[in-house]
Amino acid sequence: MIYIAIIIGCIIGALIGINAPVIPYTYSTFLAIAVVAALDSVFGGITSVLKKNFDLVIFISGFFCNSLLSIALTYLGQKLNLDIYLAALVVFVGRMFTNLTIIRRYYIEKWTVKLEEKRKSMGQ
Amino acid sequence: MKIKVNKEKLVMSITIGIACFALMLVMFMQFKMVKQTDITAIETMRESELKLELSSWNEKYKQLYARYEEVVTKMEEYKNESVTDQKTAQLLEAELEQLNELLGKTDVVGQGIVIQLIDNQGKKISEDATVYAISKENLLRVINELFAAGAEAISINGNRVISTSAVYTIGTDILKINNGNKISSPYVINAIGNPDYLKSSVSGKGGIVDELEELGHETSVDIRDEIEIEKYSDDISTKYIK
Repeated sequence: MIYIAIIIGCIIGALIGINAPVIPYTYSTFLAIAVVAALDSVFGGITSVLKKNFDLVIFISGFFCNSLLSIALTYLGQKLNLDIYLAALVVFVGRMFTNLTIIRRYYIEKWTVKLEEKRKSMGQ
Repeated sequence: MKIKVNKEKLVMSITIGIACFALMLVMFMQFKMVKQTDITAIETMRESELKLELSSWNEKYKQLYARYEEVVTKMEEYKNESVTDQKTAQLLEAELEQLNELLGKTDVVGQGIVIQLIDNQGKKISEDATVYAISKENLLRVINELFAAGAEAISINGNRVISTSAVYTIGTDILKINNGNKISSPYVINAIGNPDYLKSSVSGKGGIVDELEELGHETSVDIRDEIEIEKYSDDISTKYIK
């Protein structure tokens, strides 16, 4: 169910995104930082699922709030002539890597546990 | 598969689907934008590149503007020069005209005198003296006296006397002038210049006209307010002057 929703959402989003009018170059930074923020939220959500403390409200609010906040920060940076979006980018990407590490560790551990069990059953 | 789905799970699926939709939408819009901007020139460039480009164009503009101003000032100079050139051209033209007049290449008009000499060759003035013909020397002396008195243009029977003119005889008494134009009595010599000076130089006691008169020829010297002297009719060309 969730996977179907994910796939349908992705396909529709991609189709509309491809057919959407080209946004002006000036706003491309905002969109890019929003994308990074959203991806960060996605990885955070996956991590929380693995940790079994996933909360939909937290995930969705994080997803949209982070995006909007990063856009706002980028806008402020433009007004201040300071590349604040770089700071946001560093934080998001850093968190993404942390979450990726957690996900990787989780699956590796799962895998090793499975291997161990297999060996044990083979030994028996 | 169970048709009845957990309500909580449905909400979760829809929200996550919406999130995915939003994410993909923005991502693909961004992809498209980046792809598009990679193709065209100015929109593709990053802001820093644009800044660089802008500054370089600014530089170019400044250079071109400097060059433009240079050219404008040069044009101004040329304009001024052309004005002065026009002046010099006018001066040169005036000079050329004057020189042509002096040289005999143009018809000229001015005040002067007309000398008429009628040859009385063979006429007896006494028992044993006849009149000799007017010789080239006589004519040359007339011309010489006139030039000495400041004549600016002289012609004999319509033949303009120029710097290379010669009066000479062929045979016994055929007078020729310039490049072989035959001249004969009556000799009409037109001279442009100060009429008084010209007249006093040839007539009066000791003057060539007076002498010719004494030798038995008919002469007359008239002062005219306007004499027209034609231009030199033959070709003026040099062959040996280098």
